[in-house]
Amino acid sequence: MTLFGRRNVLMVLALTAAIAPSFVNDYYLFVANTILIYVLLSIGLNILLGYTGQLAFANAAMFGIGAYATGLLQVRVGWPFWLAFPSGALIATAVGLAISLPALRLRGLYLAVSTLAFAQFTQWVFLNWESVTYGAGGFKTPPISFAPLPVSKQAGLYYLTLILVVVLYVLAQNAVRSRIGRAFIAVRDSEIAAQSLGVDLLRYKALAFGISGFYAGVAGGLYSALLNFVSPEGYDLFQMVLQKAMVVVGGLGSIVGSLLGAGAIITALEALRTVKGLQEIAFGAILLGFILFMPNGIIGALKAKVRGWEEPVHRSRRRNSPPGPAAVTTPRSEVRP
Amino acid sequence: MAVKQGVQLAVISLLASVAIAQTSAAQVPGVTADTIRIGSFGALTGPGYLYGKLPMNGIEAVFDEVNAAGGVNGRKLQLVREDDRCDPAAAIGAVKKLISEDNVFALIGGGCSNATFAARDALDEAKIPLVVMASVHDGITTPVSPTIFSAALTSTIESEAQLLYAISQKAKRIAVISMRDAWGRARYTPLMEAFKKRGITPVADEEMAPDANDATAQVLRLKAANADAVLIVLYPKPAAIFMRDAQKLGYKPLAIGQTGIADPAAFEEQVGSPGATALFRTISMVRYTPEDPAMDKWRKAIETKFSGDRLSVFNLFGIGSAQVMVEALKRAGRDLTREKLVAALNHLTNFPTDVYGAGITCTETDHRCNKAPVWIAKEPGKPVRVLEVTKVE
Repeated sequence: MTLFGRRNVLMVLALTAAIAPSFVNDYYLFVANTILIYVLLSIGLNILLGYTGQLAFANAAMFGIGAYATGLLQVRVGWPFWLAFPSGALIATAVGLAISLPALRLRGLYLAVSTLAFAQFTQWVFLNWESVTYGAGGFKTPPISFAPLPVSKQAGLYYLTLILVVVLYVLAQNAVRSRIGRAFIAVRDSEIAAQSLGVDLLRYKALAFGISGFYAGVAGGLYSALLNFVSPEGYDLFQMVLQKAMVVVGGLGSIVGSLLGAGAIITALEALRTVKGLQEIAFGAILLGFILFMPNGIIGALKAKVRGWEEPVHRSRRRNSPPGPAAVTTPRSEVRP
Repeated sequence: MAVKQGVQLAVISLLASVAIAQTSAAQVPGVTADTIRIGSFGALTGPGYLYGKLPMNGIEAVFDEVNAAGGVNGRKLQLVREDDRCDPAAAIGAVKKLISEDNVFALIGGGCSNATFAARDALDEAKIPLVVMASVHDGITTPVSPTIFSAALTSTIESEAQLLYAISQKAKRIAVISMRDAWGRARYTPLMEAFKKRGITPVADEEMAPDANDATAQVLRLKAANADAVLIVLYPKPAAIFMRDAQKLGYKPLAIGQTGIADPAAFEEQVGSPGATALFRTISMVRYTPEDPAMDKWRKAIETKFSGDRLSVFNLFGIGSAQVMVEALKRAGRDLTREKLVAALNHLTNFPTDVYGAGITCTETDHRCNKAPVWIAKEPGKPVRVLEVTKVE
């Protein structure tokens, strides 16, 4: 294991994140919480786009569905956050599964256009189904309480998000190293070849959309609790561009890349506050720079320059078992989107 | 020896008193012995910059004038700007950054309604005084937040004023054409409540999209309803399309706008159909047009400081709100605290600014401090003129 390898860096990041609330102010805690929420979104989208190769544009809509469902179940039905939040995530998962059905017949640009239409439809519902969604003005959600735990709302929500990020990161990492992940990659590389190998397209595409919807739903619920406010403008096309940018900057087909991409983009957006008025130009320049000079994203550069960042798609064998071809990390066993 | 001890004691006392003075100044965020840091948030980029960047330029012009005259109670004012891009999440981030990172003493800000409304919890939590410069959402000031004061008209006040104006002009059949986005909804809902309160039913209630490029259907329906006054809850672009199509189809009602269309000269140009805006009246938050000679001082200040800029009505929003803040800071005294600033704001009574329709009055139970919509119009070939200043209670 190398000193600056993936595991060590992630360990340091996790430890820093765990103690962050004790030494950062309210603003940095808010930014850190936002990064963690976007890590979830980015992982979910990367599974769908980077691993399964589905060019879908519905992630922002599912993020919104998670936020709206969590908020509305609290405000309209009177459920506590702790019940509304998982329900919101499940609703987003169900929607993700539902939109996987047309994805079976569509691919490439056609899938992109149909999911874009779905995202626009969702926006329309948020805006116009006023009797339920409160329309364009949005609505406030009740503040989340962590009583009897002795933590403030901000710190409590931050730790809740951090725990979920760690758990869902590990789950995603394990999933892509399992048969499921390899099936996703087979679907991405060639649907016909995947079918000939016995991969059930319906099952794995639906699973990818479902996982993506679940991650987006969890992120949406946490986002509504973070802002205490839900309104349609947070889940529009710009939101989708932001999430895609995270996946591209971090690296397509990489779970750790999703984490790095989300961190890099949110940090850049906040850092660019200092160049007021030039924020959008600078953001565009960063994206262009990545597409032109680092098409494999941050993770691509790390894999090329630093040892220990490889992401094998098989779990490593036990130490006492004899080394076999699958246990050896070779370029072929890595994810090459 | 005694002299030496005396000198040492004097030096120690002096250092201690300086340290105590610095500590007491440092205890109040954003206040030093010679400066007060004020934060501002609003859109600096994107289409919402009219309600963010331009009012902030106005605030800066006021601060420059105050600083040139020696500051407020001996302290110079510094403005720290943050971009909220009209996005609720970005507004919360901007407010938290201004409070926790930039350590500002107070805020003058709020351009887009939803963004400011979303940031209200963060503002309440920090108990930081805010003077709202342009956001109209009722939820920002109602129910009363102890530290948030609005120098802008609120949507309820404007909606009420639109209906009252139509009634005062003897309109018998009043109709509404509105957008239903966040901005439009914030005005449409109280407008409908104002109708209901007076037992009036609009003869037609039409909707237009913000990016619509045709209003023929809406005009024909309003014409069929025989509406003699139309209350317009639209941005300038769809409103211009509506006025153009109304002219084209020979429909000439009294058209009543609001502060979203606060520059009738620019609006006339946008409509581009001679005579189409002859019966157009609109609300301004301020009692002067940018061309008015009374605004010469501010025109010069803005155009000197921000080369290439032309004084706009949006700069005036910032000028008014900054004057309110400066007056409250003066009244709060040299020994400045946020509590004293809030108390000073709570006791502003009929405070005259250079721009608003009437004096600014805030009370502990009502922080909607500007209730004087100014009615303006531009007859074809003539300059914009102020028709009257009304008062909404």
